[in-house]
Amino acid sequence: MTDAEIFAKLKQAVIDQDEDAVLATVDEALADGVDAKAIIDQGLLPGLNVIGEQFECEDIFLPELMQAALAFQSAMTVLEPMIKESGAEGPKRGKVVLGTVKGDLHSIGKNILKLLYETSGFEVWDLGIDVDLFQFVDKAKEVDADIIAMSALLTTTLVGQKDVIEALRDQGTRDRYKVLIGGGATTQEWADSIGADGWAASAYEAVTLSATLVA
Amino acid sequence: MIDLIEVFERAESGPLTSETDYYMKRYVPKLSELLARHGVKWDKQTIINTDDELTDAVFEAAVDLIAEAGAYCPETNRVMQFTRDEIVTACAQCPKEATFGEGRERKTMYGRRPDTTDDRPWVHVGGGIYTTDEQVYMDTVEKMASFDIVDSVSVPSILHLRGKDARVRSPQEILVACKTVRLAREGIRRSGRAGLPIINGISAASQPASMFAASYPDFGLRPSDGFLVDFLSEMVVGYEALQKVAFYNSISANIGSTSTPLFGGYAGGAEGIAVQATAYMIMGTLVFRGTYHYNAPLHSKLHLSSTKPLIWAIAMSNAAVGRNMGYPMVNLPYLGGGSGTKQYHYEMACYMLAVVTSGGNVFSGHPAMAVQADSLVPDDHKFHAEIGLAAARLTRAEAEPLAQKLFPLFGDKLKDPDKGLTFQEVYDMKSKRIANADYQKAMDESRSELADMGLAVPVS
Repeated sequence: MTDAEIFAKLKQAVIDQDEDAVLATVDEALADGVDAKAIIDQGLLPGLNVIGEQFECEDIFLPELMQAALAFQSAMTVLEPMIKESGAEGPKRGKVVLGTVKGDLHSIGKNILKLLYETSGFEVWDLGIDVDLFQFVDKAKEVDADIIAMSALLTTTLVGQKDVIEALRDQGTRDRYKVLIGGGATTQEWADSIGADGWAASAYEAVTLSATLVA
Repeated sequence: MIDLIEVFERAESGPLTSETDYYMKRYVPKLSELLARHGVKWDKQTIINTDDELTDAVFEAAVDLIAEAGAYCPETNRVMQFTRDEIVTACAQCPKEATFGEGRERKTMYGRRPDTTDDRPWVHVGGGIYTTDEQVYMDTVEKMASFDIVDSVSVPSILHLRGKDARVRSPQEILVACKTVRLAREGIRRSGRAGLPIINGISAASQPASMFAASYPDFGLRPSDGFLVDFLSEMVVGYEALQKVAFYNSISANIGSTSTPLFGGYAGGAEGIAVQATAYMIMGTLVFRGTYHYNAPLHSKLHLSSTKPLIWAIAMSNAAVGRNMGYPMVNLPYLGGGSGTKQYHYEMACYMLAVVTSGGNVFSGHPAMAVQADSLVPDDHKFHAEIGLAAARLTRAEAEPLAQKLFPLFGDKLKDPDKGLTFQEVYDMKSKRIANADYQKAMDESRSELADMGLAVPVS
């Protein structure tokens, strides 16, 4: 099998959300001497791109997205140590710290965003729901994040997004990060008013915007 | 039915698991398996299902989902498990009617069966839309309550205090929740129907403390109103919800079990939403001890409920519960078009045709994508209630061709809906009469077009 055929097979296995086929093809590729980074860049990530597009078009939904992400993560547990060992750089497009702001217990939108980030090649630290503002600030500093992404579904929790930006300003670190906001209660006007770098109406838009911001 | 404390104890005794594992190892694969096991499939064309074999398959799948996946309690990280017998018993013993209100406004909402054409469904209007001004708030509530056909209202929310919005869990939130209730009851009193029930208690309260505080009788709410208790995420039963259940059961209040399954979320598409929405209504009686259900499935990206697969799923869940339980329910329609637009009226008509013929009671629409502050326009809600009552004269088979005619009038506009009007833009602020000729024209034309299609909507 040529490298191109292996990459096509890997891509299709990801699109099919078939974890067993992904792992078997990764093994096959490694046995054929294909470079671990190439397996990710030319096989797995193109498959995940298709998954992201299918999700955006409602051809598939969150369960399928999760299955594809699991297949990808399983492959990465095999490939990442090899990449580290070789001294090559990982395929990550950027580091994201994300969570739902203080007082807000809604998780689905944030979880979808996390999966889309991961399947788009971002490295993600998910702080969960009801996140204290300084958790965002401290984690972003700790991991040297590129992006802080905050979700708020309720009108009464919106202020949590503003507080994080204010805290970053107070600490003199606002310019180190791109701050994205989203969630049911948010609007572009709100993002502008609190000085966020971007607002997205959907998780897919957020990832697309993030890719632009860190390019 | 198993007793309430036993229900609470299930949150402390089931298997330990993380939320991620609950979804990945239990919920998602189980739901997928159940859709296949019970042959639940949407043909991507039908809006109002008339196949009762399929309807009953959805109900069976919902029972199995609860029995085989269980619910998840995030505070204890445990799966709440219920046997099939416990679930079936809860379905059989669920309330078949719920009585609300006081004095001559005291009335009973019934669980309806699909294709019932000789009853008069419960008429509920309103929504929790944000309101900027206390006068507008009271005028809105007063006007909604003054419509004779209305049996209960959902009141808007008013979140500000001294010019600032209250932050969630702050002491100010408790004050605005109390203020909301006081203003709502005063608006209802001014309509001359003091006993009319509010069944979206409590719109400005995000936490149990605010709900309990605003339930203090002097503020104007009573056990004969209705108090909403909701699921946080698919099959997630949080302690805050159970705290509300504990309190409102203790004062013998009406509880509205409330669910918002997300289209595109863990339940997936139309088929998964139909099963999940049905499962929520069963859980509403089994876990939340609801006397009625607020069924509010929502699109995860568009934040509305008037897409074709969603209307099919919502109607299906109504029919499944209507045929197999008889639990009283209303459906909260989130619509794309803004208040007063023809798009909004078309969406509402399509939605009403689907849910009312399938066993739901009447609940007027709620602009979602084009929502703005003060956009709860009472005459929209009266018109939509009239549409619901007209739909109640039809069977599902009679309603389906009408729904198919209506859907193309708004389906392509859902991603970029027509913007609407606010209360202040529609009414003369002194007389509270409609002062916007374009608003009245859009409504009159919509009524006429519906009649031409075969759905005569008499003015009440």
